[in-house]
Amino acid sequence: MLTVTFKGLWAHKRRLVGMLMAVVLGVGFLAGALALGDTLSSNFDKLFASANAGTDAVVRSATTVGTGVGAQRPAVDVSLAATIRAVPGVAAAEPSITGFGEIIGSDGAAIGGNGPPRLASYWLPDPVLNPYKLAQGRAPATPDEIVVNRGAATAGKLRLGQTVTVLMPTPVRVRIVGIATFAGTDGLGTATLAAFNLAGAERNILGITGDAAQASSIVVRAQPGVSQAELTSRIQRVLPANVDALTGVAATQQAVSDVSGTFLTALRTVLVVFAGIALLVATLSIANTFAILVAQRSRESALLRALGGTRRQLLGSVVVEALCIGALASGLGLLAGLGIAGLLKGLFDSFGFALPAGGLVVSGTSIVVSVLAGMVVTLGAGLLPALRASRIPPLAAFRGAAAEPARPSLLHAIVGGVLASGGVALVVAGIQAPTSQVLSVVGIGALLTTVGVVALGPVVAKFVTGFIGRPLAAWRGTPGLLARGNAMRSPRRSAAAATALMVGVAIVTLFTVYAASLKTASDNGVKGSFNGDIAITSGGFGPGTLSPELATAIGGLPGVRTATGISAGEALIAGKAQQVSSVDPVHIGAVLDLHPAAGSIAALSDSQIAVSQHEASNRGWQLGTALPATMPDGARMQLSIGAIYTSRDLTGDYVVPLALWGAHNRQGVNSAVFVKLAPGTDLAAAKAAVTTASTPYGQPTVNDRAAFIAAAGQGVNLVLGIVYVLLALAILIAVLGIANTLSLAIHERTREVGLLRAVGQTRRQLRSMIRLESVILSVFSVVGGLTLGTFLGWGLSQATNVAQGFATFTLPVTRIALILVLGALAGILAAVRPARRAARMPVLTAVATE
Amino acid sequence: MQTTLTKAAARAINATKIYGSAETAVRALDEVSVGFPQGQFTAIMGPSGSGKSTLMHCLAGLDQVSSGEVFLGDVELGSLSDTELTLLRREQVGFIFQSFNLLPTLSAAENISLPLLLAGKRPDRDWLDTVIAEVRLGDRLAHKPSELSGGQQQRVAVARALVTRPQIIFADEPTGNLDSRSSAELLGFLRRAVTSFGQTIVMVTHDPGAAAAADSVLFLSDGRIVGELREPTAEAILDRLKAIGE
Repeated sequence: MLTVTFKGLWAHKRRLVGMLMAVVLGVGFLAGALALGDTLSSNFDKLFASANAGTDAVVRSATTVGTGVGAQRPAVDVSLAATIRAVPGVAAAEPSITGFGEIIGSDGAAIGGNGPPRLASYWLPDPVLNPYKLAQGRAPATPDEIVVNRGAATAGKLRLGQTVTVLMPTPVRVRIVGIATFAGTDGLGTATLAAFNLAGAERNILGITGDAAQASSIVVRAQPGVSQAELTSRIQRVLPANVDALTGVAATQQAVSDVSGTFLTALRTVLVVFAGIALLVATLSIANTFAILVAQRSRESALLRALGGTRRQLLGSVVVEALCIGALASGLGLLAGLGIAGLLKGLFDSFGFALPAGGLVVSGTSIVVSVLAGMVVTLGAGLLPALRASRIPPLAAFRGAAAEPARPSLLHAIVGGVLASGGVALVVAGIQAPTSQVLSVVGIGALLTTVGVVALGPVVAKFVTGFIGRPLAAWRGTPGLLARGNAMRSPRRSAAAATALMVGVAIVTLFTVYAASLKTASDNGVKGSFNGDIAITSGGFGPGTLSPELATAIGGLPGVRTATGISAGEALIAGKAQQVSSVDPVHIGAVLDLHPAAGSIAALSDSQIAVSQHEASNRGWQLGTALPATMPDGARMQLSIGAIYTSRDLTGDYVVPLALWGAHNRQGVNSAVFVKLAPGTDLAAAKAAVTTASTPYGQPTVNDRAAFIAAAGQGVNLVLGIVYVLLALAILIAVLGIANTLSLAIHERTREVGLLRAVGQTRRQLRSMIRLESVILSVFSVVGGLTLGTFLGWGLSQATNVAQGFATFTLPVTRIALILVLGALAGILAAVRPARRAARMPVLTAVATE
Repeated sequence: MQTTLTKAAARAINATKIYGSAETAVRALDEVSVGFPQGQFTAIMGPSGSGKSTLMHCLAGLDQVSSGEVFLGDVELGSLSDTELTLLRREQVGFIFQSFNLLPTLSAAENISLPLLLAGKRPDRDWLDTVIAEVRLGDRLAHKPSELSGGQQQRVAVARALVTRPQIIFADEPTGNLDSRSSAELLGFLRRAVTSFGQTIVMVTHDPGAAAAADSVLFLSDGRIVGELREPTAEAILDRLKAIGE
């Protein structure tokens, strides 16, 4: 029996190529995602290991601001280093002071743009503790000398001895006295470094000097013969309360797990989810291929049955076949995955998420998971049709009864109808559910709707393909008429072929609609609250990089009535880590209307906080409610709610006065500066003046009101762009599925093709007929996908609106139309190979085939 | 032969067809010269592998000869491109195959008009009605092939072959899958097409009974024409076949 199976596989190898491709691509994506995760994880491990190589102990605050892994910690006193140095066994102890510092290159632009981290630090004088090594020059000796990493020096065309500007973010003029390498490379990935001596670091990074200065941690080196554990326990004895010592090894592990626990896990999850979508689409697509193959072989199977083959043997044969294909495809997919991992890495680099360099690494787990996924998917897809085929009595199969029922069963209609209507009802009802349950109820509803729609596919396929085919038949004449007939002849198969693309398109549409809804909400919110004329933004992510001096400098320009900065950061409020904006309560009103529902932003005192209406009502707070808060420096306090506002698009849910925030944060930075002009001032001239004035501050982006509003939602489009790229593979697999179905169908209709050619169908008409059938199928999928995706997008944006308070359902008509057109084009594309093969078929072979 | 008596609807001159190459080469047609006069019903008989199907395929423009010439009317087929051949088949040739004559997705009426539909032409209503009446399909026109009996399906095929008023109709074992009653009926239709409409028909068959309906029978063996029988009877055909050695 196995021989028969393998001979059969070999004989049908051409027909298996398409199926193989689907699995290869799906597994490739999964393996690629996992390999990327492995690679990054290994790179980060190496990175932290080299960064901490000389550190035997780390002393830092025991408190965290925020929750979970990677949370910020308050600082420790710099003076603690001296105390630790006195501990026996300590060879060196230095404060680790790190902050933001943007180096201006020789061309006047900030090195690295808005991409990689731009770091400033204290240059640790102990060469073992310092992960950077001097390649040229010497260590900084005065506060206005710095060491830069070699990568930054090269990128900014900086020389030893050159005087440069570093934005701290307030510009400082310093001289480069040394160029350093990190673990033998140009730097820590693409991050730039400007390292000062202690006085320079205290002044520029901490903004304070002497005993008051605080470091993020103290790093310690042991004398030879003193173990890390011993050193740590000795140091712990001299530490004040709330400060901890941990071994260098533990600190490295923690740093690694902080990164893998947050960034890497999130990245891996996202990639695996999209790989899962690709695999789901692949499963749907190859399940159909299997069904057709098994149906086409029903006579063969009947012969085997008649000759004494048992049902089990037949079933076993298909299982072995699926396993063979699965194993081969998974193996190839694994190889493809390495290529995809490289591509993804490049993609992430190009989107500005520069990742540490290093070769590709793949763990054993990733290999096993990928191969297993490929096998399971293939086997799962093959099992159902195999079961169905094995149930056909041999005689019926001889008579040509199809193993594949052409018409949908009543069960399909009932199950599909119940699921779909139940799902829709759940989504519609879900958006009225209590805030905390909205997303889960709508999610379940969405899932049910999708399954229901897939089940209903065969029920509506005949009608819908007929409907889509009618104008084509009228437009393209007989080939159109024949194509329509072919698309309608087996509704079950048409629906199955369309399902993969439909699901793919539905997901694309869901994201498109959702993104548009988020963008509308953001646009409306920004439009409704931003009253300024000009906005200066630092771009990129994080708390921003603009010097507080910038607002002052702009404020002094002629024609400027108000220029005020806004900054962002994280603090622990009422037990949760929260994004907090800080504003100048007196001036912010001129540029930003937060639409207070209660209280007043302008009257906010230094012990008060403003909270969004959304957050306040979710948490049950009112004006005057006292909230416990922990500031970034670890200071604990009670803040009472002094205002409740409704416009939260630019500030988030929490706003505190600048004076309060500044007192508990080192290195004040602004994320944006908003400018209001005096009435009658010429906007263009004012914008030019503002641009000139802000150039020394790292050339931040200067936008007028309209451009700022447009730019505010751009982040959504950036993410949507990445999502599109991630979904492209699933769509490709789905289109391959349609091509595959067509190829198999044409193979099945060889004699029909021959007959048509004999009675006068030209090759052109034949190709046109196949192309039109493909277009009908793909438009069927796309219309289904668009409808489903739009509904799900509506549900998700409504749910988000209820749960999070942002998202205004918007139908991006242009994009939807584009998806439809692209879908039809995909149909044409899918038909290229099948049509070419059909046209090449010699008429006679086709006629003579029995 | 009869080429000189009336104008030939189709003819072959020194037609040779070789399949394969070198040692495995098979000479399916060996220097065959033959003409099929207009308005005549000719049957081609011969043992399996005698080249009768190959001859028909070459005459119909479905296959090309290795050497020699094939004419359909006045057109030499060897010089035509695939598209030209297709258009010629569409307009000048009718086909009736042994089985699988109809497209399952089209109704009987659509199947009958298929060559016209492919040409984007409007059927001549009167002629269409005449043809449909002739094969007695009036009440089955809206049905799909799967809803028709074998005999009815072949009648649709006859109607389709007649609908373009082609130069010549090729029938390849048209009665091969039919019971004797349906066979007789089908042969009756072919006979009448020749007699009433002056249609030229060439039929390949194994069945002496079927061949007896023709005006003449050509006998092929080993790729050559080995005889001809005019106004044949089933007995005479059987005798001749025995002589050839089937």
